[in-house]
Parts: sequence; C-alpha cells; structure tokens
Amino acid sequence: MPRLESALVRLLGPQRVLTSPDALLAWECDGFTVHKSRPRAVVLPESTAEVQAVVRLLADAQVPFVPRGAGTCLSGGPTAGTTAVVLDLSRMRRVLRIETADLFAVVEPGVVNADLTAAVKHLGLHYAPDPSSQTVCTIGGNFAENSGGPHCFKYGMTQDHVLAALVVLPDGSLARLGSPAGSRLPGSVDLTALFCGSEGTFGIATEITVRLCRDQESVRTLLASFATMTAACRTVGDIVAAGLVPAALEILDQATIRAVEASVYRAGYPADAAAVLLVELDGPTAVVGEEAAEVRAAFARNGALRIEEATDPNERKRLWKGRKGAFGAMGRLNTDLYVLDGVVPRTRLEEALAGITAIGAKHGVLMTNVFHAGDGNLHPNISYDGRDAAATARTIAAGHEILQLCVDLGGSISGEHGIGTEKLDHVRMMYDAADLAVMAKVRAVWNPDDRCNPGKALPSRSACAESAKWPAMTARILRDEVRP
Amino acid sequence: MSALGTAKTFVADDTAAVATFLGTRPARVRVRSGGSRQLRLPEPGDATVLDLSRLTAIVRLDGPDQTCTVECGLPRADLDAALATCGLELPCPGGGTLGGLFASDPIGASTFGGPSPRSLLLGMDAVLADGTPFKSGARVVKSVAGFDVHKLLVGSEGRLFVATRLHLRLKPAPRCVQWFCRTGLDVAAAIDCLRKLQQEPVPPAAVQLVRAPDGSCAVQGRFAGRAAFVAEMLRRHGLPESAPCWRDHLDPPTHGEVVGGATLVGALPVLSSHLPANASLLWQGGGRFEAALPDAISADAFLHTCANGGVSTLVVHGAPERRGHGTLRDDGHQRLQDGLRRALDPHGILV
Repeated sequence: MPRLESALVRLLGPQRVLTSPDALLAWECDGFTVHKSRPRAVVLPESTAEVQAVVRLLADAQVPFVPRGAGTCLSGGPTAGTTAVVLDLSRMRRVLRIETADLFAVVEPGVVNADLTAAVKHLGLHYAPDPSSQTVCTIGGNFAENSGGPHCFKYGMTQDHVLAALVVLPDGSLARLGSPAGSRLPGSVDLTALFCGSEGTFGIATEITVRLCRDQESVRTLLASFATMTAACRTVGDIVAAGLVPAALEILDQATIRAVEASVYRAGYPADAAAVLLVELDGPTAVVGEEAAEVRAAFARNGALRIEEATDPNERKRLWKGRKGAFGAMGRLNTDLYVLDGVVPRTRLEEALAGITAIGAKHGVLMTNVFHAGDGNLHPNISYDGRDAAATARTIAAGHEILQLCVDLGGSISGEHGIGTEKLDHVRMMYDAADLAVMAKVRAVWNPDDRCNPGKALPSRSACAESAKWPAMTARILRDEVRP
Repeated sequence: MSALGTAKTFVADDTAAVATFLGTRPARVRVRSGGSRQLRLPEPGDATVLDLSRLTAIVRLDGPDQTCTVECGLPRADLDAALATCGLELPCPGGGTLGGLFASDPIGASTFGGPSPRSLLLGMDAVLADGTPFKSGARVVKSVAGFDVHKLLVGSEGRLFVATRLHLRLKPAPRCVQWFCRTGLDVAAAIDCLRKLQQEPVPPAAVQLVRAPDGSCAVQGRFAGRAAFVAEMLRRHGLPESAPCWRDHLDPPTHGEVVGGATLVGALPVLSSHLPANASLLWQGGGRFEAALPDAISADAFLHTCANGGVSTLVVHGAPERRGHGTLRDDGHQRLQDGLRRALDPHGILV
C-alpha cells in the first residue's frame, strides 16, 4: 500500500479508508452522471480533529482532496479526479446543539437536511431550506453549494440561514466564521456568506450553525391547472404583483405531469393540462385565509381549468407528491436525466420557456420542465440515453444553448445547483476575465495551491490533471467528438 | 475636525471615472459617498477622498421582478421614494447612501432573522484598487454562479474594492405598518418582552431594546402585514401604538465612546450587567448592539468583559486613534480577512 494510504489507515483504521476500485465505485460521480472519475481513495472521518489530521497529511503529501456529503449535487461538485482523496463527511452526522430560545442549531456537516427538521419538529421548529433531495442531502453539502429548493421565494437560500461555521482550511488550520448572533461580526467582512456556495473549494466546514424557524400557524396548499403555460406564468406574475409572498410557487409542464401521472408518484394532476401551478401559503390563519382568496382570484382571472386545495395533511402530501417526485418520475422516460438549472427574471419566464422549447426541438431532445416560478429558477430536464454518444452530445449542446438563453435574458447559469464541473464551460457566459481573476484571487486566499476540490466552480488552469481536462472535454462533447 | 474636511478629493461621475482615477495609482484613497459614517471609521490621514456622491442614478427598477440596480451614491431616501411608487421596499434599516449603507452595514438586521443588507445584495459592479473594473453576482434573485465576492462589500468599509453599482432584491411594501413602543421596563422585563416576540412565527418587522442612562428600558419597533394580524400582535403582547420611533445609532457621549458588537437575546442580561450604571444600550433585533460609555476607561473595561464572554466588540465612535480598537476575532478568521485585503488591494491603497 502506498505511503499516503498507509498513513491514512494508521489515522482512521482500515474500515474508514477505501482504496479498492470496487469500493470506490460509489464515489465516481454525484447526481451529474455525465462526468465520472474514481478517486484515489475515500476516507471517512468522524470528527473535526480527524478531518484536520487527514487534511494535514494530504497537505504534507501535496495531494488534492475533495469534500463530499451525500453526493446529491447535480453539477459534479464532489466528483474527484483520480489523484484526489475524497473526504466523505457522511459519518459526521451529530446535531451538536439546539437552542430553542435563541432559535439556532449547531450541526455536523453530514446531518441530513430533513433529519434536522425531524430533530426539532417536537419543539415547533424547522430548518427552512429544503432542496428536493432533502431526505438525503446533507447540511454540509447545502452549505457548500448554497442550496435552494421550493421555499426560497419566501425563506431564501441556505446562505440566508447559516450563521456561523467552523472550517478546516486546506493547510489543516481552523477558522471560525460568524457567530450565532450573526454571520458577520462587527469590524469584519462576511466570510460565512462568502464560504457558502464556494462548492468545497475554500475548505471543509465541520460545524455549521444554522437558524431555526418557528412553525407557522397555518399552511394552505393549492393547485391549479391551466390550458397554456402562458396562463400559468401570468398567474404567478399576478400573485407576486398583488404583494403576496407565497412559501412556494411551483410549475410543472405537461410532459412532466404526464411522466408523474404514469409513475409511482401519481398525484392526480390533470394529464390534459398544459401546466399546473402549485401554490403554498403559510402564516397566521386569518392572513393565510385572505391570501388564499386572492390566489384563487388570480387563478380564476387567468382561466384556471381546475382548482384544488388540500383540506388535510394527507391531501397536502398528495399535491406535493407529484412535484417532489417529478425528477424520479422522469426515470421512466429514458436511462439518463440531465437536470439544468438556469435563472431568468421572473417577468421573462414565458419568453424563456418558449426559447427552451425551441432549443429542445432543434436538437431533437425530450425536454420536460419543472421549476421554481417565484424565483424564475428553471429546471429544464433532458431525458436521454447516456449510452448513445450522439444523444449525449445533443443533450449537452441543448443544455449549453439553454444556459446562454438564460444569460441573454438577464439571468444566471445556475440558481441552486452550482457550477461544479458541469458548467465550467458556461461561466464565461456571465463573467469576463477580470471578474474571474478576482474570484481566483479570493479563492487563492483560502486555497492557495488549489488542492481543495481542484478545478471546480471556476475555469482553472492549475487544477489537478483530471479535473483540468473537464472543461475541454465538455467542449469536445459539444463538437460531437467524444463522450467522457 | 476630520482630515476628510481638508483632504484632496476626486469626484467621480461614473464607474469609468473611478477606474481611471484608481489607475493613476494614488498612494492612499478613502472612499466616500454621502459621508455620514466617516466619523465612525478610522482617520484616513493624508488619503485622497474618492467621492461617489454624484453616482446617484437608479439604473434599473424592475417592479414586477422586485429587483433594482442603483449607483452607490444614491441616497437611501431617494430610492425609498421611487420604490413607494411601485409598492416595494428595501427591507433593511439604515440611511445615508446605498453604497455607504452596504459598505458599512452598521445595523445588520432589524429583527430576529430578518433581512440585512447582505441578504439583499444580489450583485455589484466594482473597481479594484489598481483600477480594474469587475463584476460579481447577478441581477436575478437567485444565482450561485461563481463566488459571492459582492458579499465582501458588506462591512468592508470601502477597503477591499470600490463598489459603484449594486443589484438589490426588493420586497413588497406591507399593507399595514404600526409602530409600537413599550417604555418604563426594567432590563429583565424588556428581555422577557423580546423573548416572547422572538418566538412568534412572524416576528415584528423591526424591534429594538433601548436602555437609557438611568437604567430604564424600552422595547420598540413595528409590526407589518395585514391589518388584522398587526392589531392582533399588538394586543397579544400588550404593545402600545406609537409614532415611528426607530433609532439607527446611539448619540455619542460628549467625552465618551460608543462600542459596537453583536449578541443574542439570551446574552443580553449578562451584557447589560457589565455596563456601568450611567451607560446606555441600543440592541437591534438582528443581534447588533451599541453601548455608549462615559469615558475610554469604562469602554476598555467593557471591551475586556465582552472579550472574556466571547462577544466581539469594537469602538465605533470615539477619538480617531481609538476607532476600530478592541475587536476580538478568531485567528483563522483574521488571517483570512487580512489575506483578502492583501489579495484585492496588495498595496493598501484603500484606507
């Protein structure tokens, strides 16, 4: 066994250092399956001290490393090159502290998002950010990616809920960012906000302090179906223009509805509708009642075909079932799924969706759309057969054009999935060389030799060899030359 | 008199002018927009003032999308007036110019878990100290593309780069707003009142505790939302209606100092017990506080006590050589912050 692996085994024991090719298979990619690569090794630390010790060993050996939570990222963020060691943090899953009076919790990075809410539910509390993968994804991964979810329109992103963090830097030293009293301390800049969304390239958060929210008195969930996507989008515009701030404003298009209704996630959505709009309102009972009436009026003004409202928790669960199961339902459509993540100003949703449809037709790909309409955060999904190189190339080419469309409409190439390896070629759609140079300077302060998750988030020339190939690889895919 | 009053000044009209000026490699530069917070910053010495007060445009106001782009010298009041015409607001406290508000972030959030400047800043156009223009973030309400360099503006006091334009998130103006002020409380009763407000699923839109030098406390702020909800909250907590009564800062004592910090409601009893009897305290609902102390000796004692309790504090108003003194920071955090300053402004031009 090579010297580094031996040292890691001495540190963690043989059960927590994985090196055999078969054992490493589960770590060869995340939810973005286009890019795959087996790491050199996977280690499973269980404490901050162990993370520090591993990182120091890797620093001494000048070996790159990649922090990883549950691997649910959809942009290749935690996919490691073959020379890198993965620090899998899923065994660091303790809720260290719950403060009901001051409304915060301190957790380890491997705590599953939904488990935190489960841990505080009996106290009438919850953790607000809830990505669709919340039953699997971890708080550490959410922090690294600045994850979103269906409730961002009202409650914000992960960044809005993280107060502080204990971070192991790439040289093995510690930094404490923020405090439970606020993510920015007086006399200092907001390093907590900067770290959030850095995609594991700044260090490894081993303790994360997050804000807890009081459960609302009342929740009402409504679903309306429409004959056109335009009508659904205009309803969203009307609701927002009325000054309402629903907890969720989610739209599914017809192709998604049909996939859902043909799957185990069947929710009773009308399969003939061009779109369904799911609206969730929460707050004091009287307020929510008034708001629900206004939402119903907006539905009616825009010609809703059918309006449903959950009358009990089971009904609410049913209405959400189709939305939450949408990505799973798409597994029926083909062997692989490419989930895109563009953002446009909400007022340009209709234009964006028309453009996406045209791009799908141009490339002959099967496209479905499910999206966070309140935020203008689109998730065009392309179902394809990953074994077919030509289909893969068409898929990625369509994705590239869709992200360019989002930028052209004044938006962003990613609302919540991050850049990872997937969008390294797309970053320049938004940022020029000067912008990227500033970001690289900032990263170098945290991660001076780019060993911590090398090659991710920013186009990089100094990444480890395998990672550095990825942008070029994507370009070659776009030229129909190769499949990775 | 501050050195700013007699310093050389360069008045910029746009981002290009800022870049051109910084490209001339001035030795030391102090950024100023409205100038209302300069006396809370360390003395700039012989620095040239880069005056952004002519950058006053609302570049873009997209009411339906609830975002806008503004130049950094725009007075907050001008933006508020424009937003009022389309039923929107920028839901964070603080006045002066937008650039000054975001660069200094002197108040944080105005309520428990409420929006602060950092959560409303979507992106920016800026210029490095060497004159290189760059941008960060986006105009849309959600973007995780690239690193959030724009978040470094908040609290940077213009010493990492010069922001010229900000992309901001807006919120619908509430349908009903009612201020409240409950006075004549002792510290324990005031904290008990805060505790109960904190546990509301929809807390006040703004809340603060004010302790006067005589030790009496007031809890004041405002509820926002639908009229019936606002009325119910005031009734439930026994909060008397009042005229608007918000305070951004404490008045600096004639010979004393103002110390700023951040702490939780749960730590307020201890914090308060360490204050001299004749000191005043202003605690904002987002966690920031200011304490006005009668002299530097009592300020130092308070800083020392806070440090022992793990509370980060610093002098925000006092003699020039004292401003910024006293902050307790984690070594790792300090190293990173210093590293960012060296990386973005290697010659220490922005002071």
